[in-house]
Amino acid sequence: MKIEIKDLHYTYPAGVEALRGVSLTIDSGEQVAMVGQNGSGKTTLVKHLNGLLQPTSGSVLIGDLDTKKVPVAKLAVHVGYVFQNPDEQLFCRTIHEEVAFGPRNLGFDASKIESLVADALNLVELSSRKETNPYDLSPTWRKMVALASIISMDTSIVILDEPTTGQDAVNVARIAHVVAELRKRGKTVITITHDIDFCAENFERVIALSQGKILLDGPAGSVLGQGEILAQTYVDPPQLTRLGKRLGLKKTVRNQEEFLSALKS
Amino acid sequence: MRERLSFYVKRESFLHNLNPLTKLVLALGLTLIGFLSPWYWTPLAIIFFIIAPLSFVGKVQRDFLNAAFRLILPATGFLFIMQALFQPVGKTELFSIWFLHVTRESLAYAFENATRIFAMVSSFTIFLLTTHPSELMSDLTHRGLPSQFAYVIISTIQIIPQMQAKAQTIIAAQRSRGLDTESSLFKRAGALVPLVSPLVFGSLVEVEERAIAIEARGFTSRHTKTSLREIPDSSFDKALRWILLLLVVAIIAVKIWLS
Ligand SMILES: Nc1ncnc2c1ncn2[C@@H]1O[C@H](COP(=O)(O)OP(=O)(O)OP(=O)(O)O)[C@@H](O)[C@H]1O
Ligand SMILES: [Mg+2]
Repeated sequence: MKIEIKDLHYTYPAGVEALRGVSLTIDSGEQVAMVGQNGSGKTTLVKHLNGLLQPTSGSVLIGDLDTKKVPVAKLAVHVGYVFQNPDEQLFCRTIHEEVAFGPRNLGFDASKIESLVADALNLVELSSRKETNPYDLSPTWRKMVALASIISMDTSIVILDEPTTGQDAVNVARIAHVVAELRKRGKTVITITHDIDFCAENFERVIALSQGKILLDGPAGSVLGQGEILAQTYVDPPQLTRLGKRLGLKKTVRNQEEFLSALKS
Repeated sequence: MRERLSFYVKRESFLHNLNPLTKLVLALGLTLIGFLSPWYWTPLAIIFFIIAPLSFVGKVQRDFLNAAFRLILPATGFLFIMQALFQPVGKTELFSIWFLHVTRESLAYAFENATRIFAMVSSFTIFLLTTHPSELMSDLTHRGLPSQFAYVIISTIQIIPQMQAKAQTIIAAQRSRGLDTESSLFKRAGALVPLVSPLVFGSLVEVEERAIAIEARGFTSRHTKTSLREIPDSSFDKALRWILLLLVVAIIAVKIWLS
């Protein structure tokens, strides 16, 4: 499903103007990373995609559904949102219940629910802990439960809000694997992240936000190459990109392969 | 969403800077004087010549007038009408509705009572508008109020908005996973069921965490505690408290002497 955001403004009831005119289109099946300093409005922006927040002005279309007119529960069929803080998302007593909560609400039949739950738990490697209480896990694993509870809904758009924060290398690799799997399944994935290496290695398109506006939007190679502009929102391009630049490589490189091949040519 | 369930309005004013205990004594003192004074117009005089000007001194006149007109006036007005109608005192009948007789005396009696209540509630309103609850509690614990007691008061003030905020986040999480909470009333009621257990359960977990957190900062320690914020208690504060105390005593004396 295509996402179309037109001149979106949002002001929190407390008076903070968090979004100040964001326009953007994301096609079906795209993998997008969203970066930007703390408080630049990333979370606020994605909360509009499933209707949790309603635009102060402007509009958000998911396919041909206007988020102003369609209730959150209906949008949930198409948009899955993994919260930044898993503790705001988890409320069931066992992991299995938690992961089954979404698909059950979407009205799938019992056998489909079971297979979706099994698949999601398998993807985050939690199959063996079905009956554990999510709050008995470490916060990092709670994030994986939150992730699974959205994957099991099989939505065509999946939003991850800072999935890698506080995760060790193995868990980051696991999340990268989940993103790759979702891409293979043809899902749209939008990931907010402060982990610029994770962003460079797993996403084709990068959107940089700054003070409620889009600073840069384009292919990862071109966005991450613009260090001076990214500095405005306190984002540092990956080490290798910066090193490549200092070495005078013609192409902006994002990962080791690109770096090596640029070095050889 | 409000941070806590308090009426406190943050301003920089003479009244805000008074010691919390002074303001408490002021509110209590005005209330007592209003109730005990033998002169009929005292409560009304307190309202117009003390409390109303005080709301300007504390720069909370708008909030005060808001509360006065929206809450206190309707409530005391209701009280006035009920007492005027149902108080079987006096003989000078003014008019009667069906079996209810309104007399001059019942009207006067009801008016006096209503103004007394108005004076009481409005003086405490001024107190609450200009005093931060935690400042009051920390001042009172310094004067020997058990800190457990202060904790109970403060946490009660905080718990309702916290539960509200928590309920809001759980509802948001459930809605974004397809739980229909906005269509029919029936579905809304049904949506309460999955809300209750995480809310109660989560709050209980929080109680434990909070207990650990405050214990880690020496809550039950027997040593004298110092305070990060010194709450000033000037000689003016002390003098004011004495004056109020004397006024209350004087009013009581006059009342006894006149009766
Ligand atoms: N519930 C809220 N009420 C009032 N203001 C808020 C609320 N949530 C966020 N804000 C403010 O809106 C602005 C944007 O916040 P947002 O959470 O969207 O930033 P973010 O880019 O996700 O930041 P981070 O990287 O820290 O997650 C910030 O100034 C923030 O303080
Ligand atoms: Mg955020």
